[in-house]
Amino acid sequence: MMNKIFSRWLPCATLAAWSSVLLYFYFSGRIHAFLIPSFRPYVLLAGLVMGVMAMVFLIFPADANCCSAAECGHGLSRIVAGKVLTFLILLVPVTAAAMRSTDSFGKDTVLNRVEITDVSTLRSPAAQKNMPPAPVDLPLPTNGNSSTASAVPASTTTAASAPAPAANAQPAPPQDYLQRTPDGRIVAEVLDLLYAAQDNALRKDFEGKPVELIGQLMPDTTNNPNGTRFKAVRMFMTCCAADARPVAALVEGQSAPKLPEMTWVKVTGTATFPIENGRRIAVLKADKVEKCNPPEETMLY
Amino acid sequence: MPWFTFDLNNFVVSFLGVLFEGVPFLLLGSIISGFVDVFVSPERMARLLPGRGIGSVFLSGLLGLIFPMCECGSVIVIRRFIRKGLPLSAAVTYMLASPIVSPIVAVSTFAAFQRQGPWVMTGLRLVLGYFLAVGAGLVARRAKPESILLPSMLGQTTARRRSGLTVATAPTQEFSDLAASSSVSKKLLLAVQSATADFLDVAFFLIIGAVIASVFNTAVRQEVILPLAANAPLAIGSMMILRFLLAICSTTDAFIAASFATFPSAAKLAFLVFGPLFDFKLLFLYGVIFRRRLVFLFGIVMFILVGLICWRIGIILGPAFEGAPHPLLR
Repeated sequence: MMNKIFSRWLPCATLAAWSSVLLYFYFSGRIHAFLIPSFRPYVLLAGLVMGVMAMVFLIFPADANCCSAAECGHGLSRIVAGKVLTFLILLVPVTAAAMRSTDSFGKDTVLNRVEITDVSTLRSPAAQKNMPPAPVDLPLPTNGNSSTASAVPASTTTAASAPAPAANAQPAPPQDYLQRTPDGRIVAEVLDLLYAAQDNALRKDFEGKPVELIGQLMPDTTNNPNGTRFKAVRMFMTCCAADARPVAALVEGQSAPKLPEMTWVKVTGTATFPIENGRRIAVLKADKVEKCNPPEETMLY
Repeated sequence: MPWFTFDLNNFVVSFLGVLFEGVPFLLLGSIISGFVDVFVSPERMARLLPGRGIGSVFLSGLLGLIFPMCECGSVIVIRRFIRKGLPLSAAVTYMLASPIVSPIVAVSTFAAFQRQGPWVMTGLRLVLGYFLAVGAGLVARRAKPESILLPSMLGQTTARRRSGLTVATAPTQEFSDLAASSSVSKKLLLAVQSATADFLDVAFFLIIGAVIASVFNTAVRQEVILPLAANAPLAIGSMMILRFLLAICSTTDAFIAASFATFPSAAKLAFLVFGPLFDFKLLFLYGVIFRRRLVFLFGIVMFILVGLICWRIGIILGPAFEGAPHPLLR
């Protein structure tokens, strides 16, 4: 009886639980907070395959021990306590984490991982040490197939629909790819403004233009002499949430909003790119700051 | 901020991120392993190897491309091979190379290091793993079997030999007997059973690894780690020690390594190459076949060798090795 529990029912339950978690996160859209789009279909596939494997265990009884019994490499499956421990560790953390997760990092992570306000610092510290100092203004693209669109982060809202131009085509006018609100404001992401601060051509599309931006409010404690600045923060992930790092654009208004830290805010204002402390930075001069709901994709990638 | 601030929510987000990224590839590896376990007998696999020449060592290092095996599985498999008379040098080379030089590891490493120089990292991992395994195989070829193997293994090694392999009578093992005598549909069921056993066993280690990596990533103040991460020799050494302690599977360790955003690529490469060759669980598994003193010596030599090579690679490749996170920075 005991053997049957371990060889059939517990593997079946574990596979079914994992399958349920993966499929639930995929179909509910919660997976968006954890993985970049290219990895998400694998979660769906893994959930389906695990479901099938669980069904196999449910329908067909196991005929043998886990594998070649005499030389079994599955060490934890040899003693009852090991088996119980294995299944507890396989089941409890995953299901508990799935139920407990709020799908977004808190203030501690933003503070711990240090917000990035300069895209050149998206490299690891070791890489930065070997890099030459970045110029205040990067040169304009020189070859025919470079374009503003090619320099925009591929994942950000404004660039997502930007078509790749043909080699001998004229660069498309900004209006062709920038997403706008009905009243004509450019819908920008934090990364758009950070990249625009580094790229002359891209900057022309944003500088002095009305912009709408969504981010999480954090105080600016380093570059805020008048107390009128705050940061609009988003998490930027390379592959998964574990490697996410906060990116932040500076926002300047009449005064800092009286809202709790990490509140989602929609900022409407004008994009500016002043040079401060020897480097060009992005500062959004805010006309209006209002509390808003989190965007569908809370992470940038 | 204190150097350690644990927040359950932040931990959970990071933990699930690592799991969701790694589990599909772990499952893929387990399914392939399960099918190899049932449909490819060790005898058939060993027949592919040439005789006892140097060529067999070099070829054994590539066998993982056809028959991928995780490090735990490869130790078990070569114990069976050695008992059947497979040349020791070829068996050692296969054991060390197959957890690295395999399509599953290549795919998972490439996927994990997207936007972090995936081609360079994957290529270097496979090439380094291959040559280190071949080097160890060539050393084993020069050594006397009695100086390497445990006496219990030695007796059976010398008992059956031919040029390549002596195929012994089938062992009396419930699973392999079943697999050999079953219909195709029955074999499919057994493959699922074996794949599940592999998956659950290795997922256990992935969860432990994800827990440690997530605590490290969310609770430990990154400013404390930065001096360590910015010093290449220290970063390389600490990542290798961490990999030794984590003892995770080579099919998923790339996802753990890639999440250490503050560490240089040379340290991540050392993590990825050293781990499948020698970690905490392998210390015990190797002891089932090899002399304990030799196992410790092997671990120390590999630690120094992998560390020095990766450090050198980091210096030679410089910023190009770090991999730009975005096209604008390439």
